[in-house]
Amino acid sequence: MPSTNRDPFILDRPTGRRLTARDAVVCVFVAVFLLLALEGASIRSSGEKMEAGVERSVVLAVGTPAGWLADRLPIASAADRVTALLSPDDELEGPGGFAAAPVAGAGATASGAGASAPITTDAFDPADLGVEPEQLPALKTLLVTGDSLVQPLDVQLARRLADDGVRTIREARLGTGISKTDLVDWGLLSTRQVSQQEPDAVVMFIGANEGFDFPAPGGGSIECCGADWAAIYATRARAMMETYRRDGAARVYWLTLPMPRDAIRQEVARTVNAAIDVAAQPFRSQVRVLDMAELFTPGERYRAAMAVGGRQTLVRESDGIHLNEAGAGLALDAVLDRLRADFASLG
Amino acid sequence: MVFPTVQFAIFFPIVLALSWALMRRHKVWKPAMIAASYVFYSAASPAFCLLLAGITLGNQAAAKLIGHSEDARARKRIVVVAVALNLATLGVFKYYGFFATEVNAVLDSVGLGLPLPLAAIALPVGISFITFQAISYTVDVYRREIEPSTTVDVALYLSFFPGLVAGPIVRAREFMPQLEKPRDPRKVAVGAGVALIIIGLVKKVAIADTLAREIVDPVFGVPQAYSAPDVWLAAYAYAVQIFCDFSGYTDIAIGVALLLGFVFPQNFDRPYRAASFGEFWRRWHMTLSRFLRDFLYIPLGGNRGGRWRTVRNLMITMLLGGLWHGAAWGFVLWGAIHGIALVVEHQFRGRVKLPRWFAWLLVFHIVVLAWIPFRAPDLELAGAFVAQLVQPGPATLWTVPVVLATFIVIASQLMPAKPLDALRVRFERLHPAALGASMACVIMLVAATVSSQGVPPFIYFQF
Repeated sequence: MPSTNRDPFILDRPTGRRLTARDAVVCVFVAVFLLLALEGASIRSSGEKMEAGVERSVVLAVGTPAGWLADRLPIASAADRVTALLSPDDELEGPGGFAAAPVAGAGATASGAGASAPITTDAFDPADLGVEPEQLPALKTLLVTGDSLVQPLDVQLARRLADDGVRTIREARLGTGISKTDLVDWGLLSTRQVSQQEPDAVVMFIGANEGFDFPAPGGGSIECCGADWAAIYATRARAMMETYRRDGAARVYWLTLPMPRDAIRQEVARTVNAAIDVAAQPFRSQVRVLDMAELFTPGERYRAAMAVGGRQTLVRESDGIHLNEAGAGLALDAVLDRLRADFASLG
Repeated sequence: MVFPTVQFAIFFPIVLALSWALMRRHKVWKPAMIAASYVFYSAASPAFCLLLAGITLGNQAAAKLIGHSEDARARKRIVVVAVALNLATLGVFKYYGFFATEVNAVLDSVGLGLPLPLAAIALPVGISFITFQAISYTVDVYRREIEPSTTVDVALYLSFFPGLVAGPIVRAREFMPQLEKPRDPRKVAVGAGVALIIIGLVKKVAIADTLAREIVDPVFGVPQAYSAPDVWLAAYAYAVQIFCDFSGYTDIAIGVALLLGFVFPQNFDRPYRAASFGEFWRRWHMTLSRFLRDFLYIPLGGNRGGRWRTVRNLMITMLLGGLWHGAAWGFVLWGAIHGIALVVEHQFRGRVKLPRWFAWLLVFHIVVLAWIPFRAPDLELAGAFVAQLVQPGPATLWTVPVVLATFIVIASQLMPAKPLDALRVRFERLHPAALGASMACVIMLVAATVSSQGVPPFIYFQF
């Protein structure tokens, strides 16, 4: 092991003049003032995206007046235009957004799939009828998407299918949800994903950040987790399924939520799972709902470990929400089984 | 709480102003800073604050007992128990899952069904750094390098927020003397602090996160989907990413501490210019290197006791240094590669003289290749990554920003220090308002490069 005679300090190097504590405070407050004036809107927006709690309240207490100030300063919008050039994100715009869609309420139904609409053959999963599913010839492009739940399943799928010549596109949007459109509007995103990638199959695993209020038709909001909330969630999920199935040309594998450890989150997960099941009903021939709740938490009882290959193995992360590598491996097997049944090239 | 976030941008100016306002009233200042540090830490999880307080009180009790005892054997027993408890704390939170899984696998393979209970234990942020600083305090008291401090001072030493979650590992003998009297408000290295914060932000947000997003994560995730040009670039890019991520964090930590009037030890000194492994470890994560040297390598006997003892001590130190990063065989292999390299270097010292440029090339590439098991999710994927290094094919991820960032960071470490130092000194001489305006401009520019996913956590938060 190397030895040194003396431990170096940053101030051993040549350095500029020493200032006073007052200068330090002035320097930092000049920076803060400029940031409030020029980035106030961003601070406000950051606060609005945060989950309820003390941190959100503090950020909004600063961000709301700062945003008001920034909205009135022409230099702030000029700064926005300059810095927008550096952003790595694509702007999501166009049709399919949830914000533009009519808001469903109690008794409302998804467009095109109303109560009086005729039942089509798309509503039947061949497996439920004991019929051989119609296989698609080849899986060329697979989109694996969702929120943080889809990690590390996405990378495991990509590895497993790399030798089959499948192009796997991984798009995990952390912190997003179908019930919150401030970070990502999944209606817009799913439309863009399909138009850009044209996937033959889509694996969707989302739901770690759900439970946010939906706007009510006459103003106000609809709180989780009653039938009103579930109906809107299902409407949004159904719209995404409709997009992903590409008029029957693609297959969709939508994973339900394994029960989380936290009781409040369990209530949200239960509602989300029920909504997914309802959402998929018109498209059962192309949309497979893979039951992760039963696989990982039978009887809706949370467990961190379960028998895998005859040995007790941890399958959940310590947060009590996500699957760990071993857990994702089990989900991978479930997805691969259905992919093999649907695509001749993987048989 | 993470440095490059809105929350920290609100937290820090308040704490800075409060700190200097209370500095003269030292007895009030210390509890105020402890409170601020616990607020900072509780953003990760309030429950972890109890653990931090427990570690503080436990080590302070041990230090007091050691300080009051004149019996050498009793002092030794206490320090051994204290260090063991610190390591046990670290072990439970960091290694239990790994240990239980591996032991169960071995027991299963020999037909013994005595499985250890499995539990998904949350890793408290910064636990490795906190326990190492706690060990440093207790052992420094045992070695009579410092006197036992007051409980308030120890609480502040272990919780001081700039270095709380990812270092640098500040020795008690470096920090405690700075608490003895109020920091001098007439001599604050404002320019140096601001320069470090700016450099750290650029390294972390603009360079490390961009490289991770554009090349490192895709290639390390599915190496078999890429061929040699992409895989080689990903290997170089990860070397740059981990340097910029970790040194970026410590630059910000040191800069924030300087604005508060405190001086932290340096943690990185252009490590990729090293032409030997000994030199690399004098430049990379310097505070961990010296901790391992002072608390492990030298107590094991160092290079006294002959060639084989030295080899053994080097290997033990580097293997445990690897394991310190986490419970995974990849970290152990990384430590083993560095251990073997140090052993080989030690054996041939003075006998073989390589041209400096060749020695640099060799050391740099071994360091880059050793990062592969460190970064890969498991050894199988590390093997797949290495196999792809010789797989011909097209370059699909070579973009101008990725290649440029990788090249510039490596090249900047090979340049002489003087021109860059001169530039920094000129910057540090700016008027305080100009320094503040510069900081605001850089924050706005780097914030614009953040994706909608936000700033990913610093790599070393998981350690």
